[in-house]
Amino acid sequence: MTQQTSLAVGAALPTVTKTITQEKINAYSLAGGDDNPLHTDVAFAAKTQFGGTIAHGMLVLAYVSEMLTAAFGEDWLASGRLKVRFRAPARPGDTLTTSGKVTSVGGGKTVCEIACRNESGEVLVSGEAEVSR
Amino acid sequence: MTTLAGLEKGYEFPAVSFDLSDQWVDAYVASVEDEVVAALDGEFVPPMAIAALAIRALLEHSSLPPGSLHAGQELAFAAPVRRGETLTVAARIASRGERAGWVLMGVELHVARDGVAVMTGRATLSFPVAEGAVA
Repeated sequence: MTQQTSLAVGAALPTVTKTITQEKINAYSLAGGDDNPLHTDVAFAAKTQFGGTIAHGMLVLAYVSEMLTAAFGEDWLASGRLKVRFRAPARPGDTLTTSGKVTSVGGGKTVCEIACRNESGEVLVSGEAEVSR
Repeated sequence: MTTLAGLEKGYEFPAVSFDLSDQWVDAYVASVEDEVVAALDGEFVPPMAIAALAIRALLEHSSLPPGSLHAGQELAFAAPVRRGETLTVAARIASRGERAGWVLMGVELHVARDGVAVMTGRATLSFPVAEGAVA
């Protein structure tokens, strides 16, 4: 993955693809200190509206952030803004792919629409990112 | 420990400080499989790790009600953060309302290094009204 230094309107950001596993969810629970059983307790989660465990929204956002870091480098760390909605859960076994497209450039700011989809193309996360450059 | 369901608009969570130890950062980076940040500068911490810490601070003092969902997230990063630094997280319940049987709660997040903000944000959480009766 290569950091891009100049992105024009319409340019696509470099995608990030990850496969969700229960082991990865468990590892994130430990690191993030979020032990909500919806994420880690298979028996508990099976009785919920989701019918099974789901990944933390912030784990999915970490993939989006990796894409934005690849695209904008340190600018993302120093000035990034992100606004998203979680539209559907990511489940163990899902392969997630992030995407982003530059929608405006000007005034020292680059704005992108961003999303994360599962292997079926279902949008799990959507929103907008902005970076000062 | 109380649940978020028992907290009302305006509640301020006690501030929590975190040391960004190599051990914690390594565990976080491994869990999210971030392959990019270290290539920029081995000392940088992924920005979403700071957001994860902010959420963790909420959970130091309250638990999520059963059936809770993370509905939305806003984040603004103001400076890169490096390993070994100490960050302080403050949070307050900025909004609380009900719609269609669900409580919608907005929680403002503020993460600072030496008193200067490095990240601000707002988490939108929702949970069933039945779990949201204020104790």
